[in-house]
Amino acid sequence: MRKQLQEHIARLQAAGALYVDARWYPVEENNDLMMWNGNLKEASASRESGVGVRVLYKGAWGFSAASDLSNLGALFDKAFDNARVAAERVTFPVRLAEKDAIQASFKSPNQIDPFTVPLADKLAFMQAMDAKLNQPGVFQRICQLTFTRKQIVFMDSEGSEIEKTIVEVFPSIRVAGLDAQGQMHSRTFEPPRMGDTRGWETLDMDVFSANAERIVREMNEVLVADNCPQDVRSVILLPGIMFLQTHETIGHALELDRILGYELAFAGGSFVRLSDFGTLRYGSEKLTARADATIPNSPGSFGYDDDGIPAQNNLLIDKGLLVGAITGRQMVEEANARANKIIFEGSSGANRATSFYRVPIERMTNINIDPGDDGTLDDIVRNTERGIILDGDKSWSIGSNREQFHFATDIGWLVEDGQVTRVVKNSTYQGETVPFYNSLSAVGNASTWEVCYVSNCGKGQPNQIMQLGHGVPVCRFDNVRIGE
Amino acid sequence: MKEQILDTLRDLRAYALKKGVEASFLYHEEDSYLMRFANSAISLNTNERLIRLEITAYKDRQRASYGLITALGKTDEMQHGVDIAAEMVQHAQPLSYQPTIPLYTESFSDESAYDPALATLSNQERLRFFNRVAAGLETDAIQLSGIFACGANTLAQINTRAEHTQYFKTSDAQISIVLSHTALKWEVSAEQSAQQKADLDPDVLRRDLAFLVEHYRHDTPQQLPLGTYDVVFGPSAIADLLNFMGFIGYNGGLMKRGYSFLKEDQVNQRIMSPQFTLTDDPTRRETFPFRRDMMGMPRQPFPLFANGVFKGFVWSQDEADEFGAQPTGHTVPHTSIVMQGGDAAASTLEELVALPRENDVLYIPYLHYMNIVNPSKGLITGSSRFGALLLKQDDSVAVPYNVRLTQSLLDIFGDKVAWLSQAQVIVNTSSSYGARNPRAIIVPALMQVNGLEISHSNSSY
Repeated sequence: MRKQLQEHIARLQAAGALYVDARWYPVEENNDLMMWNGNLKEASASRESGVGVRVLYKGAWGFSAASDLSNLGALFDKAFDNARVAAERVTFPVRLAEKDAIQASFKSPNQIDPFTVPLADKLAFMQAMDAKLNQPGVFQRICQLTFTRKQIVFMDSEGSEIEKTIVEVFPSIRVAGLDAQGQMHSRTFEPPRMGDTRGWETLDMDVFSANAERIVREMNEVLVADNCPQDVRSVILLPGIMFLQTHETIGHALELDRILGYELAFAGGSFVRLSDFGTLRYGSEKLTARADATIPNSPGSFGYDDDGIPAQNNLLIDKGLLVGAITGRQMVEEANARANKIIFEGSSGANRATSFYRVPIERMTNINIDPGDDGTLDDIVRNTERGIILDGDKSWSIGSNREQFHFATDIGWLVEDGQVTRVVKNSTYQGETVPFYNSLSAVGNASTWEVCYVSNCGKGQPNQIMQLGHGVPVCRFDNVRIGE
Repeated sequence: MKEQILDTLRDLRAYALKKGVEASFLYHEEDSYLMRFANSAISLNTNERLIRLEITAYKDRQRASYGLITALGKTDEMQHGVDIAAEMVQHAQPLSYQPTIPLYTESFSDESAYDPALATLSNQERLRFFNRVAAGLETDAIQLSGIFACGANTLAQINTRAEHTQYFKTSDAQISIVLSHTALKWEVSAEQSAQQKADLDPDVLRRDLAFLVEHYRHDTPQQLPLGTYDVVFGPSAIADLLNFMGFIGYNGGLMKRGYSFLKEDQVNQRIMSPQFTLTDDPTRRETFPFRRDMMGMPRQPFPLFANGVFKGFVWSQDEADEFGAQPTGHTVPHTSIVMQGGDAAASTLEELVALPRENDVLYIPYLHYMNIVNPSKGLITGSSRFGALLLKQDDSVAVPYNVRLTQSLLDIFGDKVAWLSQAQVIVNTSSSYGARNPRAIIVPALMQVNGLEISHSNSSY
């Protein structure tokens, strides 16, 4: 197969293609299990394989994908034809940033491949969790386990050949209850990534049991709580919501394809302009954010992106100053040309596709916030006069240029004069991105830092789902509107 | 091709019977094309041809499924899938209820929403369409984005209970066009849905875009004060709101799980505006309908709301099995939602602007990134996008920065509804996550709702 792919890549190059790559998925496997109120509502597995071909011709992209590989030549020809038509409407001819030709492989670290674990063992884990969640006050209980394994072979016309095998486990447990007014409230536990691996061994029964008890207790506290007041307060975001705040208003805002207008027909743009790099005070000096694809245990680490660029750890925001973006080979060339100066030295290795039948686009790796020096959560609370601690991603809605946002959380704890006073329900907060991050007044230390995962980030047309991570500490922001 | 597909399914059925496996088979084939534009260029031209097979095995109250991307003729691979599903079901935990296995009492085939001329539209035809819409509207600063997505979608079914088959084939196109200002960052949009080639009309898109661009090019944008406004929603916004109502409203299973703002004792009560009539109408070919559901149940127009009165929840077979309800023919990949028009003659932006008005009116064509703040109250939030206008009391028209609405669906479709356009518009609500599943909702062209609160107002684009 590899030889055939190489031959067709060479054939298209000889026919005038500027660049050709092929991603062959010998196998992608998924296993989804969902138990709802003790009923195994989903027990499914799937397997797919195929090839996606990307062709650059006269500055324009063509792409074609198929699962039937009986006529590879026709697949490559179709991608080339698509590129030829695209070349009829070019305004800024695509150029690709330089890279080295790489022959390499990458395997995500795991001790126990979840696809070798018997279904009975997986169900036993879920049944044990379901039993833990089946407590007074709980109206709905959901246990989910998703396992994925992708084998990807990447080959391009510049001499790269990279093979990746990536295994992931995405678990969650959730409870919901009804308050006296019949309104539903829920709490969820999606374990932060612990240890250095990503396999079946990461499902720690003790951790799940302790957190099952916690989310049931907290949900029951919410059921009898008062509504979150409408107010302006300091908000203390725990990692269970800070990861999503980071995802939506730093991660997506700094995807270079969005900044350059390539997502305007769907996902949206960004308030960030090319002139902002090196000048925009994105946040307070306490804010340092990075795109780190090198931490071992997160789905945002994948060895090499789908341009064949090695994983990197790059600063995005340095002590509040915007310095970097999430980039692939095409976008950095265009950005530098449009800005008429070198903003980006090269691709940051963040071009990824969800499957063989989708084209790579700029995707987040692990968009992390560095821990700070404001101590533990208790320390931050102790130093807060009027605030609210928030956790859980109940709802999120962001402006099309990522300029403003509205989040609802599963739970809130009011803070008065350095003390946690009471739980509130229906907690929300909203703000504008740049003023919000400039109000960042406390960043928790390493003890508060957790790597949370995102298993379903949507972007692109045709639509793509991507998996990634966010390492975030507890953060406090001042003068934030809550309860609306 | 149809017979080859059905023969493959019959062969798989025979294999499962020979192995003693109770199973159902769902075949899905898509031929998808998407031309994407950005910065006035074609940023991507792509196609995918994919065949998926989903095999569900049953054993008493146990159920498990296995899916694969495959190709016709890969018999061994498909049969291996049957073996895997059969193995999985042995270990699946029994459900607390008996799942119903489909029994097709007759074969059914529906290709009435398939137009080969649309399904086989060429690259050049897609490009010509876009060029015609955008001609004269682009400048160095105002650039074109958008998609022209089209293709064909085939579903076929069989199971071991009977030899009959179900077969559905549709063609579809979804066009969205955005014109945006590279420096000022405003953006306006127009959309079109097509089930057949004759539905394609670039001149309608061009008219709507030209009207919005004219205002956005010349008017000074303003930040709106927070407060209550009379709001006119455009078709995309209405369709998106109805989509969310489908999630947290009339779905019986979700209601039973507490994830709905509607309750069982509200059936046959007036919940919404008397002007609000909503039907799941599979007779409308524009919605790429299913006239049978996946269980083989014939689908007829199903009333959801009639003049504001809630008529009942929809039940898929599995949810009906679990909660002891009667299935309503809603085991389908998508419904065919139609919101009835009202009596207002205005149906275009020009006609809306020309209407006499006593107050300022905010026109919101599109709601971006809507999400559910509180399902029990029907509370949603989202931001305006793609060409909002402030129609002032003095008959002038201003361009506002985007605003956020955080409102209950009970208010938006309730007694605050002032008027609905008589004319209806088809809104393509397809997404392309996973398997192709073309969807469309038919809505009034415009809907005015009075007294909605703006909870946030942008100070820039």
